[in-house]
Formats: sequence, structure tokens, C-alpha cells
Amino acid sequence: MSIEIRRVTKQFGDFAALKNIDLTVNTGELVALLGPSGSGKTTLLRIMAGLETPDSGEILFHGENATDRSVRDRHVGFVFQHYALFKHMTVFENVAFGLRVRPRSNRPSNEEIRAKVHSLLQLVQLDRMESNYPSQLSGGQRQRVALARALAVEPKMLLLDEPFGALDAKIRQELRLWLRRLHDELHITSVFVTHDQEEALEVADRIVVMNEGRIEQVGTPEEVYDHPVNPFVYHFLGNVNLFHSRVGEGRVKIGPLEIDAPEHAAAQDTPAVAYVRPHDIEIERHKNGQPAIAALIQHIQSVGPVVRLQLNRQDTGQMIEAELSKERYRELGLKAGEVVFIKPRHWTVYQGEGI
Amino acid sequence: MVLKQKSILPGFGLALGFTLFYLSFIVLIPLSTLFLRTATLSWGQFWEIITAPRALASYRLSLGASLIAALLNVVFGLLVAWVLVRYSFPGKRIVDGLVDLPFALPTAVGGIALTTIYSGKGWIGQYLEPLGIKVAYAPLGVVVALTFIGLPFVVRTVQPVLEDFHPEFEEAATTLGANRLQIFLRVIFPTLMPALLTGFAMAFARALGEYGSVVFISGNMPMRTEITPLLIMTKLEQFDYAGATALAVVMLAVSFLLLLAINLLQWWSRRRLAAL
Ligand SMILES: Nc1ncnc2c1ncn2[C@@H]1O[C@H](COP(=O)(O)OP(=O)(O)O)[C@@H](O)[C@H]1O
Ligand SMILES: [Mg+2]
Repeated sequence: MSIEIRRVTKQFGDFAALKNIDLTVNTGELVALLGPSGSGKTTLLRIMAGLETPDSGEILFHGENATDRSVRDRHVGFVFQHYALFKHMTVFENVAFGLRVRPRSNRPSNEEIRAKVHSLLQLVQLDRMESNYPSQLSGGQRQRVALARALAVEPKMLLLDEPFGALDAKIRQELRLWLRRLHDELHITSVFVTHDQEEALEVADRIVVMNEGRIEQVGTPEEVYDHPVNPFVYHFLGNVNLFHSRVGEGRVKIGPLEIDAPEHAAAQDTPAVAYVRPHDIEIERHKNGQPAIAALIQHIQSVGPVVRLQLNRQDTGQMIEAELSKERYRELGLKAGEVVFIKPRHWTVYQGEGI
Repeated sequence: MVLKQKSILPGFGLALGFTLFYLSFIVLIPLSTLFLRTATLSWGQFWEIITAPRALASYRLSLGASLIAALLNVVFGLLVAWVLVRYSFPGKRIVDGLVDLPFALPTAVGGIALTTIYSGKGWIGQYLEPLGIKVAYAPLGVVVALTFIGLPFVVRTVQPVLEDFHPEFEEAATTLGANRLQIFLRVIFPTLMPALLTGFAMAFARALGEYGSVVFISGNMPMRTEITPLLIMTKLEQFDYAGATALAVVMLAVSFLLLLAINLLQWWSRRRLAAL
């Protein structure tokens, strides 16, 4: 089922938590709401579920206006950030809850409930835990029970609020890949909230980048990562180096370098910032006759497949972060304390002073 | 809970020893003198005293009224606690403070105040009497007084549990399709059960032993509005110590058994709710 959000706003007292939000989630998609804490992600998710009412705007499910539909009539599966498992019920009873509270006329029989719960517990790989209480489970297991419980009612869409927020790094990694596989299996329209860009980039079909109650950009992971529409998105989706400068007639001067910025052809000597990701910094031992910025290697972190360098620009003293492959690193034979020459491979220029 | 499994915390032996010693001095030894007193009676005499019609009527009233009062307190105490936790309204602090008043007041004062209000000419009594509802000087008055003194127990035991009970649990139940009644019966009530039982047990125990407020409102008519504690007092005033202690032993045994049963029930329901 598709979800459409039209011009939704939400105030809490004087505080505008959501400002004129427009968003469409297509049937079967897995969408991430990504943004810093307090940017309104949870509020938007709760509005989709009907747990919060928008001050203005509309919500359409499958093209039908569902703004005034009650939570129960929306048939959404909601997974809460802190799981909200019923502590006095076993894992089995938690998962069975949504089936047991159905009106008598379409309540499944006990055998049907048992079969359904067992198949769900198998799906989340917890079939041996059915008679445990939530207090006896690990965080990751609780999270999966919460998911099975939400799926039991066969929701038309699944909404997850920071589903892996409270787990440790390794389990997060496992669970998010697992969630992706589960989604590929079930194809249920899903929206999940996260403040972790890596999580969003790795799992989602599309990413909605939010900031201060607004949507900054919507796009596939490649789109938002490679073509961020503004400095905020650039910053939020990974590490970035900022080169403060001025743009004029489509060109930006960074120290001895001059780079193209054709999209700013009209600008005349305007303050601008060039954004360059660490892996887009090219490193050479020699100038090779071309202009390049001299930088001193301060620190090398060479654990893992990617080598991270901390560099110090010789002309301005600015710190630069660079990443290169282990192979290239060996080829160059770099050591801390050496001076190398750097230049950007890809960049994006925004006018203004940057953030 | 931890201590029962294995003593990790230091001083467990000492603490347990002190607890037993303390309970012996404060509770067990004074109460055991009751049994010694009754030992001056033969079994036949003892039986005769404790099964006298006037005694039986007083047990019925004491137990029945205490039970009803404690149950009323469970219902309305839960309501008060709910309102105090879930809603904010002007004067909330004052209402919160009012709850403890029955604790602070000498119970006799409470009894006199209730009698004034509920007697045939009182503020409330004047409207109830024409309807045929007699409160003061009737068994109903006993219930009213016992409800009054027991109110704080349920409120104060349920309140902290409710404060820990986030609306998220109700929201989760709603998204799973439960209606308000189902949410209350299947989610909220079981969570509050241990606290409600504790509050019930305390309110009930307090009501059984209450004397000060009841004597004013009940009218103390033998066979009708006489509670067991009052009957005991009457016997003491007549220097019938053996008779008084015989009744006291019955009260004691009944209270102990009831509290034990409630404790077991509580232990059972708490075990399922092991804290997260
Ligand atoms: N019920 C509420 N009452 C008042 N303010 C709220 C409420 N819910 C959220 N807010 C505020 O709205 C803003 C956005 O909250 P939220 O949607 O939870 O952000 P996020 O999930 O992105 O961290 C926050 O500043 C938060 O304090
Ligand atoms: Mg949030």
C-alpha cells in the first residue's frame, strides 16, 4: 500500500516539529527517514500511524484520504524504539496479542493462532524462545519479537522507529541486513527512522533526509550520497572536507588550484565552499608539473581495507581527511611526517559560508 | 529477589538476624502474650466465647465491611492514581496532598467528621435518608469510615507503577487492534496487579484493625453495627481479659491467613512481571 503525505504540519506548543511535509512512499518500498535528533522523524512516523494528528495537511493510504482514520483502522504495524513489549506476557502471547483481540467474528481459532505465531517466530528466528518473558531476552531478541508482533496482524505497512537504535554495533549490523532480507521476502511497504546515515545507505531503497521539521532531500542512496542538494545533506551523509573560497565566472580557486563550478557561472566573486569527500581526495608524492596543495601527513590509520589519513594543509593549516585503498597506500609508501600533494577528484560547490 | 537466589550483597546474615529479632520484639512477643492469656481458658470456654452470636455478628461485620472497603479503595484508588499520573490540571498538587490526609488525621477526628456529614441531618445524610439509605449508625457507615482510612494505600502503591507505565504500551496495543476495554483488561490491569494487591492487602489489614473512626459513625449496636475491635474493647472494660484475648486471637488468625494468601498471590503475579 502506498502512503502519501500532503502539506503536513505539526506544532507542539510554539515549536514547529513538522513544517509543510510532502512525501510519497510507494507500494513495497523500504524508505528511511534520516536526520539528526529532534528533526521530526518520529513525529512524522507517528502521524503516519495515526498516533499523532497533524495540525494541517492530509494523509492518503492507497490514494484514499486516511487523515481522520483511527489507529486501529489504519492497519499499520508499528515497532517502537524501546520495543514496548508487554512485560507480563510471554514471547508467544506478545506475538499472539493482535490476533487474540480481534472481534470474535474474525478471530482465528487457538490452533490457527498457534500456527501463525510459530511461523512468525520462525521467521524472526526465535522459535525456541516462545515461553520466555521479555525480561529474559537480549535487546536484539526483543527487537525481533516486537517485529513479529507487529507482523502478526498482517499490516498493510510497517513503521519502525529507530529499530536498531538501542543495540550494540555488531548486532545492529546483523539486524539491518536481516531486515533488508525480510523486506525482500515480504515486500511490505516499510518506513524506518534512523539517525545513522550508514544504516540508511545500506538498507533503504530511498532515503528521506530531514532537518528541523523539513525534508531536505528525497532520493536513492546513490542520489543523496553522490548528489546532495545542499550542504546539510552533504554533511549528514558522511565525512566531508570543506574548502572555503570564492567563486567567480564558474571557477573556484583553492590555494594554487582552480576547479570548475559551471553551475555558478553567473556568480561574481561570491563566497563559496567546495565540499569534497575523504575518498575523493587524490594523493601524489610529486607535483608532476600540475598545481596541487602541499599537505603534511599527521596521522595514518591503516587498519582494515581503507586507510585513513589526517593531513595538514601547508598553506592554511587546515585539517584534511583523506581515504585511499590499501593497495594505493602501499604503492605510495606513505609515512607520517611526510609532505604530499593533494587535489580533489570530485567536488560540489555551494555559495555562502558553508555550515 | 537477588538475595533469595544467592547472597552477593554483604551483611545478609546480619540483616536477616536483625529483622527477625526486631519483628519478634515488635510483633511476635506482644502478640504471643495474647495466646498465653487465652491459655487460662479451657477449650470449651474458648469455643463458647468465640462462637457467641454477638461475636459471630461482629466478625461478619468486621470482615465484610473491611473487604468491601478495601475493594472500593482498589477501584477508586486506581482512579485517583490514574488521574494524578496521567492528567495535569490546576490544583493537582493539592489533590495529591489531600490523598494522605486520612493518614495524618487522628482517626477519631475522621470518624466524627464523617458522622456529622452522613447523619440524618448532615450535609449528605439529609439527601440520602429520604431515599431510604442510612449511612451513619448503620453497617454502611462502617464501610464508609473504613474506606476513608484506607484510601491512601492503593493510591500510593499504584502511583509509582503507573508513572513507569509509558503510554507506549497502550499505543502498541492500539496499533495491534485492541480497543480501550481490551487494553485495560489485557495490558494495564495485569501490569498494575501486583501493586493493586499490595494496596488492597494494606487497606484491608488497616480496616480490620481500625477502631477510632468506626466507633463514632457505627452507633455500636450489638449484633448490628458492632465491629470485633469494639467488642474486644467492651470486654476489656468489663475486665474480661480472657474473653477479649480469645476474640483477639480469632481476629489475629483470620488476618494472618488472609494476608498470607494475598502475599502468595502477589508473589505469584510479581514473579511473572520480573522487572525489565
Ligand atoms: N509530544 C510532544 N510534546 C512536545 N514536543 C514534542 C513532542 N513530541 C516531539 N516533540 C518535539 O518535537 C521535535 C521533534 O521530535 P521527534 O519527532 O521525536 O524528533 P526525532 O525523532 O527526529 O528525534 C523535538 O524537538 C521534540 O522535542
Ligand atoms: Mg525519534
